[in-house]
Amino acid sequence: MSSPELAERLQTEAAPEVVPFRKHLKDEAKKRRLEGIPKPFRKKSKGSDPKLEKWELTVGIEIHAELNTTKKLFSSAATSINDAPNTHVALFDVAFPGSQPHFQRETLLPALRAAIALNCDIQRKSTFDRKHYFYQDQPAGYQITQYYEPFARDGHIILRSHEGIAPEDGESITIGIKQVQMEQDTAKTLQQPPTTHLLDFNRVSHPLIEIITLPHIHHPATAAACVRKIQSILASVNAVTAGMEMGGLRADVNVSVRERHRVDDERAGHEYYGVRGLGQRTEIKNLSSFKAVEDAVIAERDRQIEVLEAGGVIEGETRGWTLGSTQTRKLRGKEGEVDYRYMPDPDLGALVVGEDLLQHLRSTLPMLPDETADMLVEDPAYGLTMKDAKTLVALDDGDRLDYYLDVVQILRQQLPSDLQSSSKFAKVAANWVLHELGGLLATAEQPWTANTVSSAALASILAHLLQRQITGRTAKQLLSTIFYGDTRSVQEIIAEENLLLRPMAREEYEALARELIDANQDMVKAIKEKGQRGRSCGLWGRWCGAGKRGGWRRNGRRMS
Amino acid sequence: MEPYSLNAFISLAGGASILRKAEAADTQRDRGPLHGRLIAIKDNICTSELPTTSASGILKTFTSPYDATVVKKIQKAGGIVSGKTNLDEFGMGSHSKCSYFGAVTQNDASRGEALLPAAYTGIIGFKPSYGLVSRWGVLAYANSLDTVGVLAQSTQHAEAVFEAINGYDEQDPTSLTPTTRTRISNLLSQRRRNSSLRIGVPLEYNIAELSPEVRRAWICALELLRNQGHTILPVSLPTTKRALSAYYVLAPAEASSNLAKYDGVRYGTRAEGPDGAEGVLFSKTRGQGFGDEVKRRVLLGAYTLSAEAIDNYFIQAQKVRRLVQQDFDRVFSLANPLLDVGRTGRQNTDEKVDVLVCPTAPTLPPTLESLEKQSPVEAYVSDVFTVPASLAGLPAVSVPFKASQGQEGEGEEGNIGIQVIAQYGDDNLTLDVARIIEETR
Repeated sequence: MSSPELAERLQTEAAPEVVPFRKHLKDEAKKRRLEGIPKPFRKKSKGSDPKLEKWELTVGIEIHAELNTTKKLFSSAATSINDAPNTHVALFDVAFPGSQPHFQRETLLPALRAAIALNCDIQRKSTFDRKHYFYQDQPAGYQITQYYEPFARDGHIILRSHEGIAPEDGESITIGIKQVQMEQDTAKTLQQPPTTHLLDFNRVSHPLIEIITLPHIHHPATAAACVRKIQSILASVNAVTAGMEMGGLRADVNVSVRERHRVDDERAGHEYYGVRGLGQRTEIKNLSSFKAVEDAVIAERDRQIEVLEAGGVIEGETRGWTLGSTQTRKLRGKEGEVDYRYMPDPDLGALVVGEDLLQHLRSTLPMLPDETADMLVEDPAYGLTMKDAKTLVALDDGDRLDYYLDVVQILRQQLPSDLQSSSKFAKVAANWVLHELGGLLATAEQPWTANTVSSAALASILAHLLQRQITGRTAKQLLSTIFYGDTRSVQEIIAEENLLLRPMAREEYEALARELIDANQDMVKAIKEKGQRGRSCGLWGRWCGAGKRGGWRRNGRRMS
Repeated sequence: MEPYSLNAFISLAGGASILRKAEAADTQRDRGPLHGRLIAIKDNICTSELPTTSASGILKTFTSPYDATVVKKIQKAGGIVSGKTNLDEFGMGSHSKCSYFGAVTQNDASRGEALLPAAYTGIIGFKPSYGLVSRWGVLAYANSLDTVGVLAQSTQHAEAVFEAINGYDEQDPTSLTPTTRTRISNLLSQRRRNSSLRIGVPLEYNIAELSPEVRRAWICALELLRNQGHTILPVSLPTTKRALSAYYVLAPAEASSNLAKYDGVRYGTRAEGPDGAEGVLFSKTRGQGFGDEVKRRVLLGAYTLSAEAIDNYFIQAQKVRRLVQQDFDRVFSLANPLLDVGRTGRQNTDEKVDVLVCPTAPTLPPTLESLEKQSPVEAYVSDVFTVPASLAGLPAVSVPFKASQGQEGEGEEGNIGIQVIAQYGDDNLTLDVARIIEETR
């Protein structure tokens, strides 16, 4: 991950300004919010490109994720996110002479949860190796990783059509996971132009997992969907630090193209872990968002096709990608490739994972996003559409889902038994959590928090609505009032503002109708004399409107 | 003898400080086994009161913020640290001539390949089984081989220091766990030990390069032991010839990795000017900070770990290492306690031996002048008899022996060390046999 190519950059030029990953993600999330409806999945519909009919793209991805642990990988120093620089550093973390690693067993737990959720075979025995390269953010001159014997192998994830995969991939596509390994994170370098680099070693040796997929991806949108899916799986089993907003995830992509009519000749071309007949690949390092993954893959695919069509040859090289760019750029070629000189760490013994621990973790693993979405659709107590279910699961790292489940839980307790039995209230709740509340958030350009309108408040509003104690319009106004800061309880607002629906007697409706007819004689005339029956609809509408308004005893105060 | 004239010490504790500690020790009621003893620490073991340079330019001004576990244990047992002794830079060399601080003419400390310096200087050198003594605070040269050793005037002193520093340390991930220690001591107590020992003579150690004086001393030592009623048996350790090559692949490989941390960024000496000004990050600092032998071994190690060479060098050397260990397991009557019982297929113990006795070095100690003429590889050959036990992590003692007792003309250069090697965990037996040889001197 962090890296020799950075080292190279350090030696040659001042590094271009790098947008911090967290900031980038926040910006991206904000942009999504501004677009109104939550839109985690992009649709790409391009006309067929003759070049793409001739050339097939192949992509494999390496994802690095910061594990959610309290201690570092090899010392008892605490992990931290934004603490004062260099306040959590043990002797080994900064490679002091004579210091030795002390593997922190608890760090294995989130790593195992992640690997189980990615359907991997957990290895009974795994080992640690040293990966050597010089860079100031790597105090020992090597990173401890699991190269020869990783702790998890041969997993897979399934991406489905509603998860943003390319239409060509059909209903679903399975992406193989070659392996998952544990390794150390690096220090943070803070550049002080022109030549000073400040180092913060708090992050050094924070436990990471690296997830390596097989080259099973053939479309840019699917590559982005794959990273997004892995991120959501990691978040759902509480394996990673704080979700994408906190920058816990980075990706490298390996890209190659091959001519489709030659695909059958599997003996030719390159081979990777059993996948044969591949074109020469290049690696694009350090992509920090879903969009960057998709855009970089598109740019690199197009570059490779262009080179090959012009009769050129693709060189195995490492390339970079800058946000907002339309082209990848060469960082170093094969001749500049770093030989990492992987060596088993002579200080660290093998890691042995017992079957009892695995069984415990499997039985206590939280429900995965796919399982949750299926449950919301299939369980008659919810009965949501797949679209709403997936949206709930995908939003706000699962926080929106938790909020929704809270609302449903409270409603279930508050509603009378006849209303409880139907799944209608769960659907109504989903609609309000996603669309009514979502709309308010979008208008206010406000990020999601579960406190803006508490789950209890929304449940109370919906309980009144479902029992026909207030109108839909009143319910929306109540939500808005509370959203904008009214701290009174729903009960209080309803009582103080006289918002309870008061059913009208037949005489009252008749009086209202008479009033309308009297006030709109011209319309009545048009219907009666000219036979313009269509106009009766307008009259009807006014009657309904008057009735609704008449449903409230308004005390003259406008609700904001 | 004035220590500075020999360049034996890199730093010395002040006389006043030593006196103060000695006086403080006198007032203590609980007197430890090393009470009031002056003990010199090799300069690649961390001490917080004195600098720790490992005889390297890159650490010439470095003082460790903490004490190594062995230093703490020595102090707890009542020992007083008198100074830090010179060595080959980061322990790389056989003759302590590759130091930033100048060559050493006598060495008197504890650690690492304790055997060769002991043999050359006519004292006891003891290298315990790998994993018994904590390496926390010991600058790594080759982690899988590094062992803290003891140099002393007598086996009795060596044993006292060993007892003080032996013990599990959770800070050292390669420290032998209490469970394994208990298992080993049970295994040892079950063994019926005869007063008559079976002493093995490894035939492969009788090499052409063996100097006549050393061969004579070896024969003489064996005769002495036989005269005391012990049985001498020839044994074969067929992988011995390959052990030296394997060692000089593995040790530099680990060293190249371990020394990657010295970049002048967080501690140590840093070259003037920006890092990377000469094209490669830290090359100037490392180029200036390391001596020639260190650079040679770092390059050697970097090569044998490289993608093109690792299969033919590093992996092969690891296989040789396993064969060396199996050689020893075949000849010792005690089963290797680190292996699964039964897997080694113990057969009749009649052909097996309790200890091996052989020279520590193939020649008499070389003079500095003769070393100047040696190629690096010729210098490596002096390790030929100590390397196999190192690769297998076995305990070994070098005990001074003079073949030509009574003959004149033997000065300091005439020192010959006789080595006693035993099975893993059988440390006390090596010391016992060494004591027998010591007493017959």
